[in-house]
Amino acid sequence: MSMTEYVVEMKGIHKRFGGIHALRGVDLELRRGEIMGIVGDNGAGKSTLMKILSGAYLADEGEIYVDGKRAQIQNPQDAFNLGIGMIYQDLALFNNLDVARNIFVGRECRRGPFGLLVDKKSMYRQTEDLIRELRVDIKSPRFNVARMSGGQRQMVACARAIAFESKILIMDEPTAALGVTEAGKLLSLIKNLRDRGLAILLITQRIPDILAIADRVFVLKGGQRQGVLNVSEVTLDDVVTLIVRGKDRNGMQAPSVEYQSFG
Amino acid sequence: MSRIDLSGLRKYTIVFVLLALVCFFSLTSPYFLTARNITNIITQNTYFVIVAIGLSFVMIGGGIDLSVGYQMSLVGVVTAMLMVVYHWPVWLAVASGLVLGTLLGTINGLIVTRIRIFPLIATLATAVIFQGISYMISQSKTYRNYPDEFLFLTNGKVLGMPFDVFLTLVIIIVASFVYYQTVFGLRIMALGGNEEASRLSGINTKRLRVSLYALCAFVVAIGTMIMISKANTTHSSFGPGTEFIALTAAIVGGVSFVGGEGNVPSLVAGVFVLAVLGNGMQLAGWGTYPQYIVRGLILLGAVAFDEYQKAPRRPKHRAA
Repeated sequence: MSMTEYVVEMKGIHKRFGGIHALRGVDLELRRGEIMGIVGDNGAGKSTLMKILSGAYLADEGEIYVDGKRAQIQNPQDAFNLGIGMIYQDLALFNNLDVARNIFVGRECRRGPFGLLVDKKSMYRQTEDLIRELRVDIKSPRFNVARMSGGQRQMVACARAIAFESKILIMDEPTAALGVTEAGKLLSLIKNLRDRGLAILLITQRIPDILAIADRVFVLKGGQRQGVLNVSEVTLDDVVTLIVRGKDRNGMQAPSVEYQSFG
Repeated sequence: MSRIDLSGLRKYTIVFVLLALVCFFSLTSPYFLTARNITNIITQNTYFVIVAIGLSFVMIGGGIDLSVGYQMSLVGVVTAMLMVVYHWPVWLAVASGLVLGTLLGTINGLIVTRIRIFPLIATLATAVIFQGISYMISQSKTYRNYPDEFLFLTNGKVLGMPFDVFLTLVIIIVASFVYYQTVFGLRIMALGGNEEASRLSGINTKRLRVSLYALCAFVVAIGTMIMISKANTTHSSFGPGTEFIALTAAIVGGVSFVGGEGNVPSLVAGVFVLAVLGNGMQLAGWGTYPQYIVRGLILLGAVAFDEYQKAPRRPKHRAA
């Protein structure tokens, strides 16, 4: 396997929904083991770009490389096979199922002839291990997710995305519905995952979250890439300015605007 | 913890309702709780149980099939004609009927998933089409005098019980096994619980949905064989109406109208709640027509109960 600097490269991605040109030739490069924040105003194309990487949408134009190799991502299964996991904003959980089933649906532990049967024992055991490993606050893999708090549900979605040795994890607004304590827990979990070698793409409106845990921040506006900033070198205002004003015609950053309130 | 224990019991509420009804009607009529009457109730309802189980696959998967009664009409007529008019061997006629049924279900599934017509409307339309075809083929004639081998379905005995009762038990066991033990069963629950999440989990949701309609129709076709064998005659008007009873029984038996929930024991209890009501009311001398009113009220009550059960969960989400 060729070891390029980037674990994911997206080149010239276009996506149209009817008359709306949601993404206009976006390039994105994600390094190994980094957390990259994806920011932009509502409708900037953040979720669309990430859904293309996760196989939920098909790009109209553009190329995707994973580990330097051209990847064909036609559906979520293709993305999964490439080690890409995504946690959607609505979490995409099954309220009628318990924690273990939520994690394993679509990738069931199988037994019996032709693997027709669900290996519940192994499913529950692996879920327990996962809960312990992630040190998350879920008492039993047999709990129904419908009865859980927002934070716990987020943890289940998280466990689901990384249970299968993902290399790349995409999170869409993971802290949006959480209280301060739960959001804090989640952010430390994300750092913990990065330390285990995962590359993480984090969509969020909460810029301070990004400044707290991300390595770089990728800014989108109107379906176009505005720039990628090193978090260690920028302030909150720099990021907000790029989100609001975008780059000017010469590719230079516009004068700064004051950060007021986000999240 | 008490909340969870309660919900475990709630799943089987209908089984207790059935027991209560049996106790109640035992008091209203001395003829109700006799071996003969109970046997009657069971043997008269085997095909309703089978059809309801078939329908549950579609419903738990988050769909609906209003055409099952009309599939029965078409499959029944074709199978009977193959045996009586064309003198095909019984096994071949039955096999053809089962294949035809499966095909009708596949058509329903394809219409729902490929043309993307709302299942309620799609199957309402195919219901009318199936009925039209059934009458065109049968010329509205009645077919009777089946071969003895075919009548074995209801007259024969296996392990001391009527063959159709035995077959129904086998189907109950197999369906329970499918739901609780297999990957397929887990995916049916997932599909009914959240179709988009299923798709994002890598499940081919369209193919799964088509297979559920096909499986439903296959099981319904088995029920059709029992129905026409029991009647020892067939007409295109046999079958329609069954979908209403099966649907009511499924909902009364805890199969959620929006999918993702349901269990086989409660479903079977749902069928027998309706059966016991009908039988008990008749024996108590309350006549046939009030049964319709009671059945309708029970359907309303079951749906209301389903809604009520889910209501307390909602605020919990927000609290987080």
